Amino acid sequence: MKQTEQFILSEADVRRRKFFTGLGQTFLFAITSVAALAVLAIIFFIARDALPFFSGSRTWAFFTSKEWYPTSATPKFGAAAIFAGSFIVTLTAVLFAVPPGILAAVCLSDLLPFNVRQVVKPVVEILAAIPSVVYGFFALVVLAPFLQDTLGAASGVNALNASIILAIMALPTIVSVSEDALQAAGRELREGSYALGATRAETLLKVVIPSAMSGIFSAVLLGIMRALGETMVVWMASGNAAQIPSPFYNLLQPIRTLTATIAGDMGEADQMTGSAHYHVLFAMGLSLLIFSFLCNLAGEWVVNRQRKRLRGA
Amino acid sequence: MNIETPKGKQPETHIEAKGFSIFYGTQEAVKRVDMSIPKGAVTAIIGPSGCGKSTFLRAVNRMNDLIPNCRAAGELLVDGLNVYDAGIDASVLRRRVGMVFQKPNPFPKSIYDNVAYGPRLHQSYAKRELDAVVEESLRGAALWDEVKDRLNKNALGLSGGQAQRLCLARALAVNPEILLMDEPTSALDPKSTSRIEELIVQLKGRYTIAIVTHNMQQAARISDVTAFFYEGVMVEFDETSQLFTRPKEKRTEDYITGRFG
Amino acid sequence: MTMWKRKLLDRLFSGSAYGAIAVMAFFLVIVIGPIFLKGIGAYLFEGTIDYRRMMLNQFNRGDEQALDVEWAEVKQERKIIYDALFAFEKELDNMSSSRRRELKPAFKQTKEAVAILLGPEPGTPLPALPRRLYGQTRWERAELKAKDVLFEESWDYSGAQGKKVMTPRAPLFKGTALEPLFSKIEKDLESLMRPERTFYPQFLTDKSIDAHFFGGIGPEVMGTIYLALGAMLIAVPLGVIAAIYFQEYAKEGFVFSLLRSCVNTLAGVPSVVFGLFGLAFFINTLRVSPGKSVVAGALTLALLVLPTVIRAAEEAIASVPRTYKEAALSLGAGKWRTILTVILPAALPGILTGIVISMGRAAGETAPIIFTAAVSVGPMVLPSEIFTTSTPALSWNLYNICTEHEAVDEIRHVQYGMALTLVMIVLALNTLAIVLRAKVSRKLKG
Repeated sequence: MKQTEQFILSEADVRRRKFFTGLGQTFLFAITSVAALAVLAIIFFIARDALPFFSGSRTWAFFTSKEWYPTSATPKFGAAAIFAGSFIVTLTAVLFAVPPGILAAVCLSDLLPFNVRQVVKPVVEILAAIPSVVYGFFALVVLAPFLQDTLGAASGVNALNASIILAIMALPTIVSVSEDALQAAGRELREGSYALGATRAETLLKVVIPSAMSGIFSAVLLGIMRALGETMVVWMASGNAAQIPSPFYNLLQPIRTLTATIAGDMGEADQMTGSAHYHVLFAMGLSLLIFSFLCNLAGEWVVNRQRKRLRGA
Repeated sequence: MNIETPKGKQPETHIEAKGFSIFYGTQEAVKRVDMSIPKGAVTAIIGPSGCGKSTFLRAVNRMNDLIPNCRAAGELLVDGLNVYDAGIDASVLRRRVGMVFQKPNPFPKSIYDNVAYGPRLHQSYAKRELDAVVEESLRGAALWDEVKDRLNKNALGLSGGQAQRLCLARALAVNPEILLMDEPTSALDPKSTSRIEELIVQLKGRYTIAIVTHNMQQAARISDVTAFFYEGVMVEFDETSQLFTRPKEKRTEDYITGRFG
Repeated sequence: MTMWKRKLLDRLFSGSAYGAIAVMAFFLVIVIGPIFLKGIGAYLFEGTIDYRRMMLNQFNRGDEQALDVEWAEVKQERKIIYDALFAFEKELDNMSSSRRRELKPAFKQTKEAVAILLGPEPGTPLPALPRRLYGQTRWERAELKAKDVLFEESWDYSGAQGKKVMTPRAPLFKGTALEPLFSKIEKDLESLMRPERTFYPQFLTDKSIDAHFFGGIGPEVMGTIYLALGAMLIAVPLGVIAAIYFQEYAKEGFVFSLLRSCVNTLAGVPSVVFGLFGLAFFINTLRVSPGKSVVAGALTLALLVLPTVIRAAEEAIASVPRTYKEAALSLGAGKWRTILTVILPAALPGILTGIVISMGRAAGETAPIIFTAAVSVGPMVLPSEIFTTSTPALSWNLYNICTEHEAVDEIRHVQYGMALTLVMIVLALNTLAIVLRAKVSRKLKG
């Protein structure tokens, strides 16, 4: 029953096989490129529709003027207040979310026993999975009336409301990424510190958290990106008034963000295509893209620096 | 060993290495090995860990292709054909050169599908023919009686020894001429080990068997010829009885008497 | 530092860490709780006689004969109200002009409130809007609207903040023919409305009538299913192929790291920017559809979930033991055969986990579909129309009916019902993912 199958190929066969292998690989590469280069297409098309806006005086006014009257007879596209609004809610949300986020990550990685952790982790996942529009709905019908009644705000939809919800939404990201970083710090490190008589708090605060700092930093960056890019919640909960609160830390005043402006103003997109109003919204989209790229770059820079430091050590 | 032998002319030589080297990057893991593995016999390759014995074995069916930056120099002939030639179809080569690995690695499929995996690759079978091949292979690996009632159960439920025999049956099912075994018993208990050893002895003759082992007693028990590798170099290659009783090289003697390794 | 101080710090630290977890659990309960409790109300509630009449007229559901009998009884009860209105209108003509001026506005308000509570007065021309055709269909709304009949609402601005003041109307009409109306509504609302425990599972599939005043959320559910499935149909092949390429074919180098960081960057693009891109590229440049359409939305969502799918598939492929691959190759399988017959089947549960999670994400996203697919009101989209028609979707319409609807307060139950349905879809998918993942880890262990 032994057959002596020839396992040497003729030259034609070799060429044919090479051709098909190459074809297959090219196909895979092409599909992967489509998937990966989508992001370049996004940059290109957003920039293409944003650039017509940036002409002469409009550019300067866009970044410096607070006058946002896109639909008046002589439209004004000053987006300074809107940029400020985005920064205020993002910053506040991250300030709210980072301390409990890191503490919760510490709890998950170091304090809870394994089987309790198996129960708690899905809670974090579910918090992350709830659609943003549902958070927005909650902000509008539950949190807004509550804020209005207890804090005496003129309106329940304001910067504080949006920041609180954004913080809740950024929490799961911060927790799970920080937890990974804390886990990665390793048991040896902890044991080394405990062996010297350090308490748990001292071990975590002085040894583990510092060594996981780059991971925690990227967790915070991801949280910032999540809060900055979030649309529905700020649209529904921030009040959408294009103004800088006075004083700027008065969170009980309504504000307006880039994302909410894009979502709200592009409503009649079909009719708007080509108008200055259409282009200014793309300019805002481009600004958002640039911010998130900067965050990405910062994150990669930190991770690389950490990697180099570890390699050097 | 006569290195000058024209290729394919010596019927008893099945696998032949001529000045064969393997590099990982710039590091030479196997250094200019010359050896002839005889047909139908059991050849044991022994040596301390990291000596290149596994790397050499995995070159015969080109499993080293999986490792990036790994390249070969010199010649490694199977039936007189250099397996590293451009025209070699690795798939066909591997069908003729079966392999059993260090740790049992059944697929997460049914026992039947594990054994049928190879035959299905190379040929389309009628159901009954395939049943026959599966049964024959499982019998060949002395596993048939244990699993014939649960052929459709997942193979991951088998014990370590059974799983390794399943892997052997899986390799036999494609009807190879050569069987490479890379420390096939190192993950098994003594009882399972001796069953595998018995099998190897039974399979001898029908198949050319090359087995890497770091268990010297095992090599002495089951092999006809033995090669001793040390730091990538083949130090000594001789009939097993000869090598274990009257080693020619000092390093071989030191190793088999347990002075290092 | 002394020992007790260190111990105290340790306790404080651990305590606040546990506290942080508790805070997260609290958020989860606070956000999900009301949506669950009130969302159920869209499916399970006390329906009045008017609900049953509406269902019979609009959806042809219910026992017509039994309803006729009941309706006759209720009409008898309601006659007291209408008689009172009629009699008072007569009486009003004979009043002194000052008294008339005093009572007429209040009477008009009362009459309007009664029309809202019980539906149009018999004998008057039928209103055009379906919402005005019936009385209150839900008992809790009926109780609320009954208050509008019984009390006059006004605002007291004497304090720093406005305060609502409810003044009963009954004393104003004391001694008039209208008086019995108030006592009837106050004491006998139940026999006027006949509330009955109602289970309305078709809320999930029914079309909506008169902008969600009646009916269900069928078109929205369908739209969400179209968009999520469509997005996955596009993203899964692309993502899995890219993952295979990254894991099995790509060699480290410039091209590899370029493609890699492109995928990473894609994951960080804000969702509303995906929407802008979908509008500028799929609709305005490629013109896959004349305007918003299901396909344009699905393509946009597909890009959004692509990085998640790629990452999940890569992780799943990477976690397949190398030994499986070696075994397949050693039996003479080619690379493709190995991938198709051994690696992908072994990675399947992991890949499925990623797909299911991404699908939940696609179902819940709003911003990307605003300019590419979503429409506020619309019929259920047919499969043949996906290239041409925009669709309602749970996420967008939840936003829409709780902010831009003309009567936001009147249809809270629909809003909650929609939110609950969306959350349940997403949670069901995530639970499935958790179960799948548990299965994977069990398999890898044993």
